[in-house]
Amino acid sequence: MDHPTTQVLLIEDNPGDADLVRLRLLEGKSPVNVNCVNLLSDGLASLTRETPSVVLLDLNLPDSRGADTFRRVLEHSPNVPVVVLSGQDDESLAIEAVHQGVQDYLIKGNISGGHLERAIRYAVERQALLRSLEITRKQQLEFKDQFLSHVSHELRTPLTCIYQYVSLIQDGLAGPVSPDQSDHLKIVLKSVNQLRAMIHDLLEATRAETGKMRIEPRCISLGELIRQTVAMMQPTADEKKIGLEIGVDQRLPLVHADPDRVLEVLINLVDNAIKFTPPDGSVLVQACVVEADPGSVYISVTDTGRGISPEARVSIFDRLYQDADSVDSNRSGLGLGLFICREIVRLHQGRIWVSSEPGQGSNFTFTLPTYSLAKLLGPVITHHDCLRRAFVLVTVELTPLSTAPPRNWKQTWRQCLEILRRCIFLDKDLVLPPMATGGAAETFFVVASTDLDRSRIMTTRIREALERVPDLQSKCTLTITAAPVDLPADISTRSPEQQIQSVADLVTGMIKTGLDRKQPFTGKTERYSN
Amino acid sequence: MPRPRILVVDDDPDLVRALRLRLQANNYEVTSAGDGDAAIASVTKERPALIILDLGLPNGDGFVVLERLQNSQALSGVPVIVLSARDPKNNEQRALTAGATAFFQKPADNNELINMISFSLSPRSTQSAPSSS
Repeated sequence: MDHPTTQVLLIEDNPGDADLVRLRLLEGKSPVNVNCVNLLSDGLASLTRETPSVVLLDLNLPDSRGADTFRRVLEHSPNVPVVVLSGQDDESLAIEAVHQGVQDYLIKGNISGGHLERAIRYAVERQALLRSLEITRKQQLEFKDQFLSHVSHELRTPLTCIYQYVSLIQDGLAGPVSPDQSDHLKIVLKSVNQLRAMIHDLLEATRAETGKMRIEPRCISLGELIRQTVAMMQPTADEKKIGLEIGVDQRLPLVHADPDRVLEVLINLVDNAIKFTPPDGSVLVQACVVEADPGSVYISVTDTGRGISPEARVSIFDRLYQDADSVDSNRSGLGLGLFICREIVRLHQGRIWVSSEPGQGSNFTFTLPTYSLAKLLGPVITHHDCLRRAFVLVTVELTPLSTAPPRNWKQTWRQCLEILRRCIFLDKDLVLPPMATGGAAETFFVVASTDLDRSRIMTTRIREALERVPDLQSKCTLTITAAPVDLPADISTRSPEQQIQSVADLVTGMIKTGLDRKQPFTGKTERYSN
Repeated sequence: MPRPRILVVDDDPDLVRALRLRLQANNYEVTSAGDGDAAIASVTKERPALIILDLGLPNGDGFVVLERLQNSQALSGVPVIVLSARDPKNNEQRALTAGATAFFQKPADNNELINMISFSLSPRSTQSAPSSS
């Protein structure tokens, strides 16, 4: 059997122990090359330079002790097999090590040469096996994603034909239609919509599972989204004589979330609530802040339906979980709704849970992060915990030429936002998450850690980049302004958190003033418009 | 006043027929083409007011057609609405960057489609882009 040279990285600070290991390794049948270091930091540096076949690791080193040692090695090089050589026979530490990914835990002084060589060989084999399993898993997910993408594409074609011809008849374009016929066709169209929703859910769930779901968080008002949801679900609720109510805190803070996705979650939850509530029941959608958790907004959908059993509650957010007694057809009926909701909420760093008892209705609650400019600005406006010297607020406004913006307006400004992000220095400038400004114009804000004069370089770069967007000038006017953020003289006397908050408050104030008056900001400004 | 002519490019004859009936009911003239070459031949012969373009065409997909339209001085101003069964996730941005006016996923709501067509053909939207300073 072919025995290639095993490259061993030995991280051991005791010279006697190190020599013993070397001796044991040289006793073995296969050629071994041992590189010995006596500090963890040296070990990590060596791992960065070259990858050994295996790491033999003593846990108690001058610069690291115990579990920390193997944790740091595993974190640094997750694909290199690690065998711990410890002086202590610590069973629980050994188990923890294995759980974290260490391949073996050997007690020094108890190992013969043959034993060590075998342990190393098996550790290398196991690691290789793990690696190939991981690669296979990724390939399978990728295949599933592509397969479902292809299948959904194929399904949409005949569905389109059904939709087109049924609606042609229903709209009277193939002759007069009797009321009965119209009714029947309406039912067909309802099924078409269900199929459409099913295909959409299938794709969404797969994307969530394969990690391809992306969210685009913005600064949004939940009240607006909840109203939108209720308006959309009102007809379904009315059909079943179920009351839909809203309870939103007056001064609910803005939330940093993807509006389309949050809408998806809300619609899913309300749809489920309506589905599982008998006629004359009610569904309540609420949003509020909880004192104990000021960084989040809590949104809940409560119904007076039949409730959920404890067994069902455990797996209700799993994929394809469907209630055994579901009678009516819902939006898609695939049982993916709550799974998708959970993934969306998870991507927002939120939590979702249900409280319910059979016969007593259900309450689904999820959390979303509040929008905090200070949180976003912190890392960018400070350098080694010191506030940078000067800041400028750059405003980029895209105003559509016509009053009714075309449907692809969203794509245009999204493109502009991407371009904007590439025009800044990520470690000292920040493009603020887009805010729903209410009008058709899209306004973007950049907080740049620079002074007004030097900001001209950035604004020129932005203008040149945006002007290269095809057709931009036929769709809208581009206005770029820059205004200095006037820091109060005593800002350096404040604590770091207060300093960041002060800058955040100043910027928010400038934005509000600018939006309210739809004018350039007060103070020295430069205006670059076409 | 002559009715505006719409070119429908799609290889599914049933869909083309349904669209033709609906567009004619909305006072548009309709011509059709089943693949990229036929589409280019048709627009070269007579410039349509608007094009509805499927992406999954035989002998080269809709993106090839979009590119050829963009490269033509005479034809780059014609609004193109992409109507495709493909997932917008990957294709919408690409289509819009390639010059399409809008992307609709099949099955597209008829009212939304008709509105977009009418908006694309209205006088303000056909204004040519001002020359860059």
